[in-house]
Amino acid sequence: MGFFLLSWLDPSLLMLTAAGTLAGIYIGAIPGLSVTMAASILISFTFAWEVNAALALIAGVFTGGVYGGSRSAILLNIPGAPAAIASALDGYPLARRGEAGVAIGLSTVMSVLGGFIGVIALAVAAPVISEFALLFAPRDYLLLAVMGLLLVGTLSGESLAKGLFAGALGIALGMVGLDPMTAEGRFTLGTVQLMAGIPYVAAMIGFFGVSEALVQLHNLRVKPVKQDVSRIIPPWRLIRKYLPLSLRSSLIGVVIGALPGTGGDIAALMAYDQAKRTVKNPSRPFGEGAYEGLIAPESANNAAVGGAYVPMLTLGIPGDAVTAVILGALFIHGLKPGPMLMIETPHLFWFTVGNLALANIFLLVFGLTGIRAFAKLVECPPSVLIPLILVLSVVGTYSIQNSVVDVYFMLGFGIFGYLLKMYGFQVGPVILGMILGPMIDVSWRRAVISVGDDLGFLVEEAVASPLTMVLMAFMAFLLLSQVKWRALGRRLRS
Amino acid sequence: MMHRRMLLGGLAAAPLLGATTARAQAFPSRDLLGVIQWGAGGATDVTGRAVTPHVEAALGQKIVLQNRTGGTGAIGLTYVHGLPSDGYTLLYGAENPLLYKVLNISQLDYTNFTPICLLARSVPVIVANKDKPWNTLKELVDDMKRNPGRIRMASTGPGGQAHVVSTMIASTGAFRHISVPFDGEGPGLTALQGGHADWMTVGSGAVAEHVRAGRVKALAVFNETPLPSLPGVPPATADFPELARLMPWGSFYGVWAKKDIPDEAREKLVAAFRTGTANPQFTQLMTGNGNVVMNTSGAEAEAFLARWQSVTAWILQEAGAARTDPATLNIPRPS
Repeated sequence: MGFFLLSWLDPSLLMLTAAGTLAGIYIGAIPGLSVTMAASILISFTFAWEVNAALALIAGVFTGGVYGGSRSAILLNIPGAPAAIASALDGYPLARRGEAGVAIGLSTVMSVLGGFIGVIALAVAAPVISEFALLFAPRDYLLLAVMGLLLVGTLSGESLAKGLFAGALGIALGMVGLDPMTAEGRFTLGTVQLMAGIPYVAAMIGFFGVSEALVQLHNLRVKPVKQDVSRIIPPWRLIRKYLPLSLRSSLIGVVIGALPGTGGDIAALMAYDQAKRTVKNPSRPFGEGAYEGLIAPESANNAAVGGAYVPMLTLGIPGDAVTAVILGALFIHGLKPGPMLMIETPHLFWFTVGNLALANIFLLVFGLTGIRAFAKLVECPPSVLIPLILVLSVVGTYSIQNSVVDVYFMLGFGIFGYLLKMYGFQVGPVILGMILGPMIDVSWRRAVISVGDDLGFLVEEAVASPLTMVLMAFMAFLLLSQVKWRALGRRLRS
Repeated sequence: MMHRRMLLGGLAAAPLLGATTARAQAFPSRDLLGVIQWGAGGATDVTGRAVTPHVEAALGQKIVLQNRTGGTGAIGLTYVHGLPSDGYTLLYGAENPLLYKVLNISQLDYTNFTPICLLARSVPVIVANKDKPWNTLKELVDDMKRNPGRIRMASTGPGGQAHVVSTMIASTGAFRHISVPFDGEGPGLTALQGGHADWMTVGSGAVAEHVRAGRVKALAVFNETPLPSLPGVPPATADFPELARLMPWGSFYGVWAKKDIPDEAREKLVAAFRTGTANPQFTQLMTGNGNVVMNTSGAEAEAFLARWQSVTAWILQEAGAARTDPATLNIPRPS
């Protein structure tokens, strides 16, 4: 337990955690720069260091990076990282209403809250959560992904039909590339560039950032909204009011984060969906700047950080891409990551828990400073802001993997997204389809292959699994609770 | 930071471009770029990142590492092939490109490259869910023959280690099983522990700790001798002696440069990697994790690659998994 406080007391580790968190916020905020990339560069960089120092720095970058993505999502409608996609849905409308300061303040406090829930879950329940995560069979991943896809209904805007079209388009885009199961090329037109698929971060920057910049070209003469920066730190009564929502969202975040193969992006989207379904009287309608629509994803994606460490520290199985890199780092530093890690080197576990807690405290400090300056950014006239967004989008996309092809994709999707918006289609379902389509594709095929193509056997196994039945029951509840029974009854009677 | 360093490297080299032929600059005069064809945290990535600092010390220049993933490594390989043949770009790769032509993935493969150094190889380990009744490879195979189409193997896709090893075992006597493809060894091991798959083949490095903790059961190592990191696990040849003709077989990790780089650069790189790979810190790391350090280059490396390709391609062809007949690609049958 003494190791819990190691990074709090050792001045150099304290400094490294702080520096990591601060750097993480900016890495997260710049679209294209990802925490995974930063962590893998840090591994070469910290090769000769003591392992604790390397871990402290990476934990800081991880915590800061997941949070930082919301900055650009709120201010510019460009999610800095996939985990911030859901934050843009209500965060950006808030900024357009002159509440960028409040939005950033709220997202900071709720991220830290979610972060702490993640750390607590890691500290007290890691072995239980990881055994639970192992229970998820391919059919359960399929159900999760389908549940996530129900979000299309939430994100459709004016017309469900247009939402469905956009979602289906996203799924089709997600299918491009080598089939992950048979290595067969799909829609690759024989080019190597398309073999790795369409990079969805590039698509995300185009669909969100560039298309919004193009839409803003219509309002060049409109004066930017004056930003209210008098109250940055959200008042206590607001925090208390949203505490139950934040806790629910954080629990979703921990579980989704702990599942190998799903991370902060899916956690945040599912938390957003949950908020939209459970909050009866939001501060404003969702999608138009509801506080609830920002709080839920922000709590969930930071809680997912703690969740991602759970299978990594207990089983040596990465919970997401970043923890996969950390596993590599542990290995290079001569440790043996695996199920014995917690038994043979418990100090490493407690050091990590303490370190993540510390990073969250720094997150609160750094997150709440400098907000005024950031909020003023939105007050820039469109003639400054639009070129800024375009430059940031191009540079960010190029830096994903130094590929010009990605930049072309990003610009193409930007113009396409603009046309979609002009005709009343929402771009949210497209990105959702790109993320969840491939997951549905492989989970379904894996589930069917697992039973030797015998569907009867699949049903048999599903019925025998309590987890699958609970997920099915939950999905049935989601669907049935949305039906307007009274209206349906009236229609049937008449 | 990485980008700035590359940019500065590029700027520094620009004035030299015209002068290189006239006044040969001692290689290497600036940073190198190492492109890793697999993702961060994977075996290729970890092996590459572990050896590189020792190579940098021997070379006297930095090697900036970058992951370029996708297309089972074809994206990274094609990228490096598109850069100048000056020896300043290296490809950190694994075994996969040897099967690109057989599986119709890409027309570029290691024939367009020269091996600088084969770093290490992993030994496949056949593991089972801990609640399964089998304790030896023979018991597993007998059960699969008794219950065709009922037992689930986690695989990593066609041409992957699990697929090839199960095909090799089946060459001693056919059996029918369900092969469920997962996204890699890690997700496969996860499914195995959750009971969603019954058995699989994993690299020794990835599985040693899980075996030691008793979370999975090791039935055999796909090798002619036992491994020091997995004491008490018998070699597969104990049950199936005829498998020896296919061994050694398994994933390996190495560094390549384009075929037509200057001889001077090649010699310097080979020497630097030979020194770096011999570093005790690296060799201990590899053997401690159940890998076998190779540290081979030149003709010896070429021979290893040719034999690996021939054995694997023909096993796939016989199992009907090859998309292009190895005979038309002039891949000789294994002798």
